[in-house]
Amino acid sequence: MSSSDPTAATVRSPRRALGWGFFLSELGVLFRRRRTQAMLGALAAVPILIAVAIRVTGGDGRGPAFLDRISQNGLFVGMTALVVSIPLFLPLTVGVVAGDSVAGEASTGTLRYLLVSPVGRIRLLVVKFASAVVFCLAATLTVSLAGILAGAVLFPIGPVTLLSGNTVDVGEALLRALLISVYVALGLVGLAAIGLFISTLTDAPVGAMAATVVVAILSQVLGQLSQTELLHPFLPSYHWLDFADLLRQPIDWSSFAGNAWLQLAYVAIFGTLSYARFATKDVLS
Amino acid sequence: MARNQKRWAVAIAAPAVVAVVVAGGVLATSASADLPEKTPEQVLELAAQADVQTFSGTVEQSSDLGLPDLSGFGGAGAGSGSGGSGSSSDGSGTAADQGLSPESALELLTGSHEARVYADGSDKLRVQVLDQLAERDVVKNGDDVWLYDSSDDSAVHTTLPARGDASADASSGEATPGAVPTPADIAQRFLAAVDPSTDVSLGADTTVAGRDAYDLVLTPRTDATLVGSVSIAVDSETGMPLQVEVLARGESSPAFEIGFSDLSLDIPSAELFDFTAPEGTTVTEKALPTKGDVPEASAAHPEPVVTGEGWASVVELPIGTDTADLTSSPMFSQLTTKVDGGSLLQTTLVSVLLTDDGRVFAGAVPAEALQSAAAATPASPAE
Repeated sequence: MSSSDPTAATVRSPRRALGWGFFLSELGVLFRRRRTQAMLGALAAVPILIAVAIRVTGGDGRGPAFLDRISQNGLFVGMTALVVSIPLFLPLTVGVVAGDSVAGEASTGTLRYLLVSPVGRIRLLVVKFASAVVFCLAATLTVSLAGILAGAVLFPIGPVTLLSGNTVDVGEALLRALLISVYVALGLVGLAAIGLFISTLTDAPVGAMAATVVVAILSQVLGQLSQTELLHPFLPSYHWLDFADLLRQPIDWSSFAGNAWLQLAYVAIFGTLSYARFATKDVLS
Repeated sequence: MARNQKRWAVAIAAPAVVAVVVAGGVLATSASADLPEKTPEQVLELAAQADVQTFSGTVEQSSDLGLPDLSGFGGAGAGSGSGGSGSSSDGSGTAADQGLSPESALELLTGSHEARVYADGSDKLRVQVLDQLAERDVVKNGDDVWLYDSSDDSAVHTTLPARGDASADASSGEATPGAVPTPADIAQRFLAAVDPSTDVSLGADTTVAGRDAYDLVLTPRTDATLVGSVSIAVDSETGMPLQVEVLARGESSPAFEIGFSDLSLDIPSAELFDFTAPEGTTVTEKALPTKGDVPEASAAHPEPVVTGEGWASVVELPIGTDTADLTSSPMFSQLTTKVDGGSLLQTTLVSVLLTDDGRVFAGAVPAEALQSAAAATPASPAE
């Protein structure tokens, strides 16, 4: 792969195995961390709190989309929780994981040891990014699953009325909930790439995390202003709330595709920027 | 060092590639077609012959009428957390209110909207207005018409009278007051107005929704109107109007634009037209609106008086027109300005004057023309 490494050809297969091993061990480190578990726990608390609050108060009054449907159908808890989590909670947790990815190793002084062992810098970046992507999916699935479980415990479960007024059975509704989780996770991938890049710029993980979260919030603020309308389709948060297109009949796939292309562009740009920055960086710590 | 430069070159190349792809996409959508030469008359004829009744597509509408964007108005006022759902009535809104209220008409005129339209013949139609996290549906299947609003889970059911008197306007805005009209509706309204007052010419061939189209440009011959020109993209194969753009006088970007972003002439799935209100929905049975029941459609009002000619026409709605629900709306005071003799709603294309004595003047003319029309006619009952 890398021409800079003359031994790459001779030891390819063990190194590829090492790559997977490295990825799995990285995932293990990530998900065994107290902080990661605490973040996933906080995310799971969102739908549970919503479900309990609706159960106790009866669910009258105004609130986020889908809220008024929860008392009739518990499957909507997960979707309401996603609507609530998308603007801040999910970007926050992704920002923490992505911002910490390289800067965290640098700050604890483990980065040079990682690079001393036969792990190329590209591979390190790819593995760090891939773990952040896995976390995006884990985070949205946590919200969705906790919502469905809380809804199933506290409310009746039944055929789901889509936004179009058509009704689908529970199986298809669960399938669509899974699709929505994938969609929302996909929408966070671009942010993860931005976080990875910021993380290569600094040795202070807190700074990288904060900067990534600021990017997410800034993107949403710009998305609200009509003066910046020309920018809107290029903001990473542009498609975030369009997951509702998966709740139409027939499914409107255009926003799924648009989301995928947009995030791919962000990954391409910030992935290569991270590579350029990280590969030319003097790793001192 | 050279290696470092190479690495940074990669980082610069990636945004460049993305930019090229984005620019390529933009150019591809605005690429002009090369169609056989036609005269404006031939294109008009082609459009008049158009008989496409079976299609599915996505319609996008955007307005730049110089009005504030009201899409979040109702939601923000009611303290809805996520906003943007377009729930625009004050509190106890049902689809009936939403579909017919002046607020929803104004809401549809401002900002931009996207709708999916499915049609199979003249008796099967489904329009889905795609709001963020919500949807408004109009389903017509035979004599059954359903309006469904997902934001408050309400539905209205209407049965059309026997075919004949209603069939002509069943596919037009009459049956779908809350929905975005199809390009065909709007274009036909303009084509009907083609008379000696209008210069009809052809612009450069264009591409709409991936289909080659002739661009019919209608330019008013008078200076007394706010409308600069109207251009209609006519599909080169079927004659179906694909896009309508209305430009205000002296503007280069459209003040109002509606067109297909995606169009297929295949027969839509029959299941789409099978609609019954889902369980838990508030269903209102409604008799077909009789004359005068549709407040915002000026055509349905009793005896409007038209003065002036062609593009500079001024429509006067007589005293007795019920404007109380409009003037009491909080949106109203935000949109209008006080002028001599009444309140003025000024957009880049249309002016509306509500006089203090309850008359309404409207037209695609400057405000002064409305004021002089109001002064010219006495405020006597126009029965």
